[in-house]
Formats: sequence, C-alpha cells, structure tokens
Amino acid sequence: MQRQSADAFPGDLHQAWIRACRRLSGAGYGEGVTDAYVRLSPQIARLVSPQTAVDLAGVVSGVAIRAGRAAAALLPEQALAAAETVGRDGFPRWLLLVEYVSNSAPESLAILFAHMPQLLLQVGLEGLESWTRIGIRMAEGDRERRLRFFRLDDPSAIRWLQRASGQIGFADMEAKLRPFLTALWGDSPPLRETPSNAHEQTRRRAGFDGSVVRLPSSFPGFQSADAERLYRAAVAHIGAHLRFTRERFPVGGLKPAQIALVSLIEDARVEQLAMRELPGLARLFLPFHTVQPSSAVTAPALFARLARALADPSYEDPNPWIAKAREAFLREDPHDQQLSRRIGNLLGNDLGQMRIQFDPRNYVVQPPYRDDNLGLWDFGDNDSQAEDAEQVLSSARIRQEENHERPDRIEQESRPDGEAGRVQIEPLSMEGVLVARYGEFDYVTGREQPDWVSVKEYPANAATAAQVARLREKRGDLADRVTALIRSARVSRAERLRRQSEGEFLDIDACIDAVIARRIGETPSPRIHGRYERRSRDLSVLLLLDVSQSTNDRVANGRRTVLDIERQAAALLSQAMSGLDDPFAIAAFCSDRREDVRYTRIKDFSQPYDSLVEARLAGLQGSFSTRLGAAIRHAGADLATQRSYRRLLLVVSDGEPSDIDVEDRRYLVEDARKAVQGLSRLGVNTFCVGLDSNAESYLGRIFGQKNAFSIATIDRLTDLLPKLYLALGR
Amino acid sequence: MDRGIGSAAVEGDALGDFRIVSEPYFRPVGNEVALFEAAFASRMPVMLKGPTGCGKTRFVDHMAWRLGRPLITVSCHEDMTASDLVGRYMLDADGTVWHDGPLTLAVRSGAICYLDEIVEARQDTTVVIHSLTDDRRILPLEKKNEVLKAHPDFHLVISYNPGYQSVLKDLKESTKQRFVAIAFSYPEEAVETEIVANEAGVDRPLAQTLVRIGHRARNLKGHGLEEGASTRMLINAGLLARRGIPIDEACEVALVLPITDDPDMRDALKSAVSACI
Repeated sequence: MQRQSADAFPGDLHQAWIRACRRLSGAGYGEGVTDAYVRLSPQIARLVSPQTAVDLAGVVSGVAIRAGRAAAALLPEQALAAAETVGRDGFPRWLLLVEYVSNSAPESLAILFAHMPQLLLQVGLEGLESWTRIGIRMAEGDRERRLRFFRLDDPSAIRWLQRASGQIGFADMEAKLRPFLTALWGDSPPLRETPSNAHEQTRRRAGFDGSVVRLPSSFPGFQSADAERLYRAAVAHIGAHLRFTRERFPVGGLKPAQIALVSLIEDARVEQLAMRELPGLARLFLPFHTVQPSSAVTAPALFARLARALADPSYEDPNPWIAKAREAFLREDPHDQQLSRRIGNLLGNDLGQMRIQFDPRNYVVQPPYRDDNLGLWDFGDNDSQAEDAEQVLSSARIRQEENHERPDRIEQESRPDGEAGRVQIEPLSMEGVLVARYGEFDYVTGREQPDWVSVKEYPANAATAAQVARLREKRGDLADRVTALIRSARVSRAERLRRQSEGEFLDIDACIDAVIARRIGETPSPRIHGRYERRSRDLSVLLLLDVSQSTNDRVANGRRTVLDIERQAAALLSQAMSGLDDPFAIAAFCSDRREDVRYTRIKDFSQPYDSLVEARLAGLQGSFSTRLGAAIRHAGADLATQRSYRRLLLVVSDGEPSDIDVEDRRYLVEDARKAVQGLSRLGVNTFCVGLDSNAESYLGRIFGQKNAFSIATIDRLTDLLPKLYLALGR
Repeated sequence: MDRGIGSAAVEGDALGDFRIVSEPYFRPVGNEVALFEAAFASRMPVMLKGPTGCGKTRFVDHMAWRLGRPLITVSCHEDMTASDLVGRYMLDADGTVWHDGPLTLAVRSGAICYLDEIVEARQDTTVVIHSLTDDRRILPLEKKNEVLKAHPDFHLVISYNPGYQSVLKDLKESTKQRFVAIAFSYPEEAVETEIVANEAGVDRPLAQTLVRIGHRARNLKGHGLEEGASTRMLINAGLLARRGIPIDEACEVALVLPITDDPDMRDALKSAVSACI
C-alpha cells in the first residue's frame, strides 16, 4: 500500500497525501470515508494528477460535513469513475459540480451518485451540469422536490434529461411539423404536446381529435434522424385521417379486438389513399414496418404483421388470416370508409374462432408512427361499452394544458358532455392563459434553458377612466410639447430628394436641364443637387410597463407612486401618438416565479386610444416581481410582427429585475440583457426609462448605457424623447 | 424556351426589335384571349392581375403576337420617374437631343405598351398614363412642348400583383378605374400539368409530380410563405430535371431555397417535396 501510494505521489506530495489521510481519519467521518479515500486516491492521482487527488480530500471532507458520510464514502469511487469518463481536463469541473450539489442540495448528492455514471454517459458533463442546475432551481428550495427530481421520479427530470442529451422531442420538431402538415394536406390544425400527466399509453402515441393534433413529447428509443422521421410520419398519417376519415365510427357493441382491427384497417385505408396522392409517403411510412413473419400467434404480433401486409405490397406473410385480410382489403374500393368496419368485424370474429386472446390493457398501436385511433371513434352516450373501448384506445382524458394562440383568438369550443377523448378546453376565467414559453439565459453555464419561463396573459382590469384622464389633463401643456416633439421626430427610411440647392450628389436631370437652359439662353436653375433625408416617421412603439409590487412605492420627492407616473406617462404618450397615427401599443407585466410571468395587454396596435384604454390604465395594480427578460421577449415577439421601418420597445421600470425564485441578483440582469440583444437581432430597438431609481447601473448593463435613462418626474419626459429619437435616428 | 422575339423586321420599321415573330406558347385557362381581343378592339386599357409567375407576361407576349403588334415592355421599379417613361433631353456633342422614352415610343408608333408591376413605380409616375387611358388618348410632353396624339394602334396593358406589399403600395383609385381587369391565377392541376410538360419538355408523370409539389407549397401561403410556388418555378424545376438533375434536388434548387429563408419552413417543404416523389 505504502509503496503503491509512493509511486502515485512523487516528492512532497506524498507527505501532503499522508497528511490528508490523517486529517480525514482524525475528523471522525467514519472508517468508510477514510478507507475509500486511502484506497482509491492513488488511482485518481495516476489518472488525473497527484495534486488533484490530494485536493480531493478537502472535497470529501466538505461533502461529509454537508451531505453526510454516506455520500462522502461514495465520492472517491465516483470520482474514479468520473475521471475515467470525463478525462483529466473535465475532472476539475466534475468536482466543482459535486461541490455545487453538496452545497445546494446536500440531501440529493448520494442519490445523484447512484445515477452518476449512467447520466455522464447519457448526457456528458456539460449536459449533467445544466441538468443538475435545472433540478435545483426548479425545486425552489423544496427538499422533497429535489429528491424526486434526482431520483428521476419527477417526469420533468426525464424531460430535461432528454433535452440535455439532445434527443429529438416535440419541442425541437414543432416548428417544422406545423408547416409540413399544412403543406401536405392544406389545413393546419393546432399541434400540441401530450401533457406529461396523461395516461402512459396515450403518451406513447400520437393522436388527434377534431381540431387538435397531439404528439408525444418524445419517442423513446429513436435517435435523432429516426425520431425526426417518426414525427413526420406521425403527422403525415394523422393528416391522412383528417383528409380521408370522413366520419367517426360509432363504437356500438363492438368488442375491443374489433375496435382495434377496424382502426387498423382504417389506418391502412387512409394511408393507401394518401400514398396514391403523395407516393413519396411510402418511403416515410414503410421503414417503420419492421415486423417479420414468425410462428408467434399473439394478437399484437399478428396485428403488427397485418399492418405491414396491408401497407407494404412486397411483404409476404404465410399466415392465412393475414392473407385473407389482405385479399379482402385489396378487393374493395378504398374510398369507401365502411370497408374498414366490414373487414375489421370479420377479422375480429375470425380471431375469436382462432382463440387468440386480445389484451386491451397492454395493446399499443404498431408501428410507432400511427396514432392511438381515439379520433376515429364516436363513443355515443354513456354506453357501457365506452369504458372498454376507452381501454383499447388507451385513452386518458386530456386536459388542454395550454393554448399557443393569443387569448383573443381562443376558440370557445362547446364542452362535449363527457365524451371520451375529447379535448376539453377550460372556460376562460380571470386566470391567465398560457400563451408562450421562453428560454432563459443562465450566465453561469452560458447557455439558454429552453422553455424555462411561462408567460401567461391576463385580462386587464378596468377602473374609472376619469382618474387617468385627470392625470393627463393636469399636464395639458406637457401633452402639447410631447406631441410637438414626436411630430418633429424623423424616424424612417431615407428618401432621395431631387433639385435641391445643396446636397450630397448631383441630380443629373437637373444638371441636364441647367445646361439646356444655358444653351437656349435662359437663366439656369441653381437647384442641381440631390440628397438623402429622413422626412417622416415610420415607427411602431410598444410601451411595456413594469407593475411589480415596488411600483406602489412613492417617488423620492413627491406624493405620487411610481405606478401613477407610469400611468401618466403612458396616457400622455398614447394621446400624442394616436393623434399622429403612429402605431402604438401598451402592455404591463409582473411575475410570480418562472411559471407565471403575467402579461396584460392594455392597448393593442390596432386599437384606438379611448376611455377603455384609460380605464385599463387606471385598473393597473402593482403586485409580484419583475422578471424582465421574459416580458421583454414576449413584447418583442409582438412588436416584431409590425411592419414599420423602426420598431421600438419602451420599457418603463422602477428597478432591477427580480423574482422570488431567483436568489442570484445577477442572473435576471444577464437574462434581460440577453433578451434585449435578441430583440435587436430581430430589428427591434429597446429603450428603458427608469423611474425614480438608482438602478441606473443595472439598466445600463441590460439595455446599454445609451439606451437607459432615468427620470424622477414626469416633466423629464420631454428631455427623454429627443434623446430617444436621436438614438433611433442612427 | 424560344420567346420568339427577333428582328425579322421590315426595312425601316423602328419597332422591328419589338415584334414577336414566332408564337409564344400560351395555354388559355378561360376566355382571356377573347376578352383581351375585345378590349383591344376598342383600345381599352387592360390590367392583368394575379400572383407572380402565373403567366401574365407570357399572355401579353402571346396576345401581341396574335394581334400582330409590336410589344414594348417596361419593368417598373421604385426609383422610376416619369421621364424614364416619357423621355428626356440628353446631351451630345452638338447640344441637347430629345430621346423618346418607351411609353412615348409606343404611343408614337402604335405598339402595345406593357407596364409590368406598375405598383412598384411611384404614384406620381403612374399619373402620366392618365391622359392616355381616357378618351383623350394624348401624351403631353411638357419639356418638349409637344402634345402627342396616340397612334390608333397604341394599347396600354399593365400588370398588378395584389398579393404582396398590398398595404404599403397600391394604385390610386383614379388609376385603377381606368382599366378593365383580367384575373389570372395558377391553373387547375390538369392544365398546369400540360403547361409544365410543354414548357419544360418533360413527360406528363413528371410534370404531374411537379404540379403536386407546387400545390404543397401553395398550401403554405399565409402559413409562413408570402406566395406559393409559381408555375414558373415548377417549369424551372422541370427544366433542371430534364438536364438530368434528380427531381428532389431540382425542386430544392428551383423551389424550396428561393421561396423561403426560414430553416424550419425549408425543412417542412423539403419533406413535403419528398412525400410527393
């Protein structure tokens, strides 16, 4: 032992290592901890470096204090395994990660160690780092939630792991699938991710129902390119149903096996029609039919072979039942939807005679791109069969979890009375409607966590408009000055002016005229120059008001609150801009943790500025926190659709961004900064007005020194505007 | 594609280059030929409306050939001034010389003048055609101090694509109301197949596949694409395919890449193309 260690630790380090061992054993963490270190650290020294192996003792001791002896005893072994996986360069980062977890989630370290080798292989060191950070942050300080996450009991833990490992999931494919479906079939039903609380079988397959297409979060077991193809095939298949399945089949008195078979024949029928129109779909569908003839005569195996036999003309199967089905299928005209029912019933009866058992509980449609067929069936009224049928179709009621459309476009669908499998849309209430998820930038890892923040839109409360009108009228003088300032602002594309007495280029037409005039003896006009100039305003503005709790504070030298000043400024600006016909919108935001960033539209671009808007301004109340980045992203997405030469997001805030689930003060600042940079890439200028704040340094960091401006009273608005237009004029 | 424009000119014919000698291929979809002939008979100005690449320009070529008139085409752009249309004085060694613009040339010598994409031109430019498009049929050349009476055969045709930039740019009401309009759109599948097969010189099954691909892209109009794939694009893809380029690659080059810059949209279109083949 001594000799071995002497090899591993040359020179002075050997003494250091012995001292480290003594310290560990003297600290009383128990034999297990010391033994593990003494036994394994020489190997780590060889794999990584002797110094690191000596330093490891400090980490072990720290872990023993915070996370307990069990975790500390595991550490040397884990360190050795990690050193083998991540190599010499990655090892210090791995150690930092362990320290981070033992500081922030000590109870979970031992559990994390249990999965560590496998996780490292799956997602790599970097992926593991961001995944643990997400877990710790998501738990929001709740021990139990952290434990669930690291035990992988929490479904979101698995989802984030998928993301970290780069597995293709719905979120990656959504933007591609939507136009693909539209291109193929000409209609564009909304696509939704199957909620994670849905039934296991529902989560494994795609599905559709009337207006909504539902897709699994991921198809486990399929890697990148295959998963992409699988999603495309699923969407193309559902598109074929939407086109060719004219009416739902009544469940009636059908047995589960018959339901499954009718669905299977119907799948084959619509695919056949689809492939007639779009022959390339065969290349998409057929590779997923991988089943081969075998002697097994279980229902799932036979069904999969039948599916293949009906889809793939080159497939040969000796089974007489399948041959019969194929023959019957090919004899009929595929445009007749009832053929599925006829053949399905027949085959179901045969299956009964062949004494083949069908277990609806464990049946999953094959191949994986096909949907769960829930959308094919009409369950009628509370039929006792419905329950059985539901089982076959592995249905779980799906609650509409989110709606990507804007709230004003939510379809108020009539609520189907207890029909199985219908998507139920909860009636609108004063609850917010989830409209978008945005990523958030983590400056520590330097990466963006996708879909981290949920923005919900809340309807605006209205109060008495007169209150705001009074605020506005009180400063009528100011209103005129603001209007005059905006009117004189020139923010547009440069135009070419001809026949100027001075300018930057010669106006050739004018020059020729001048020469002609001289030749025929007239006095030539001296206006022979041309120049470029901005002459009009072509600018859309979105005013984003911070209505967090702190806006209820009074301003330093006055009786009014920050929110009052925001209201007044919004009213003045709106009045001026609507008088000049400039597109102008107002929205307000606050946040209650990352799951609930509240966004309220007060005035849309197309809406006139009227008493309703003033009533909504009056109804604003300050509450919750300031998650600036998400609000900026959401407002920016709105603004980016405006078709004007310049687009300006004007943020009015009273302080630094904050939220109760974030402790690191710098985190939200850096995220907001990233959001602003993102908008400038979209061609949206962002400008911030800090009200009565000494947070100017933060604002400067977020928006850039030239784009942040702090004012204490409303009078300064007139100083602000020229500065703003000057910034835009560039 | 032989556009049939050549100089089989009669000696001394100033418009020789503008005559169309051989028949440009055109497959009528409705009765647009009869409509145009009727409008031409009373020299009524004609407006051709329709999405890009659906055959407006080809139709004018064809009609000019059919009516035996020279055709002067002007592609309008946003910097075009009235003198680009009417003409201007130029300098030469001896002094200034007047040069007729394309519109003046057509008015003087009795050609069909085709102003392509007229909305692109600035509004103050388009008003010069006003006096030509009512019963006056004159073109005042104020710089030259001349009022030009239109040749009896002069005929004005404009094209106008209402789809794009419609909000920012539109014709003045007073301009619009001077024209009769013939609407064009992409022909139905069978006809379009015939056109693609003929123009690209490919066989019918390939042409049909191309037309189906075109329909996929047109499905996306308004769902991420400003315009669907035009017949012209399909013909281009067909021409590439005839030269031995594999059809999926031909479609990518002629159709997918030009039509969108959005990577997701491209991906979706590419998958849709491969679903058609």
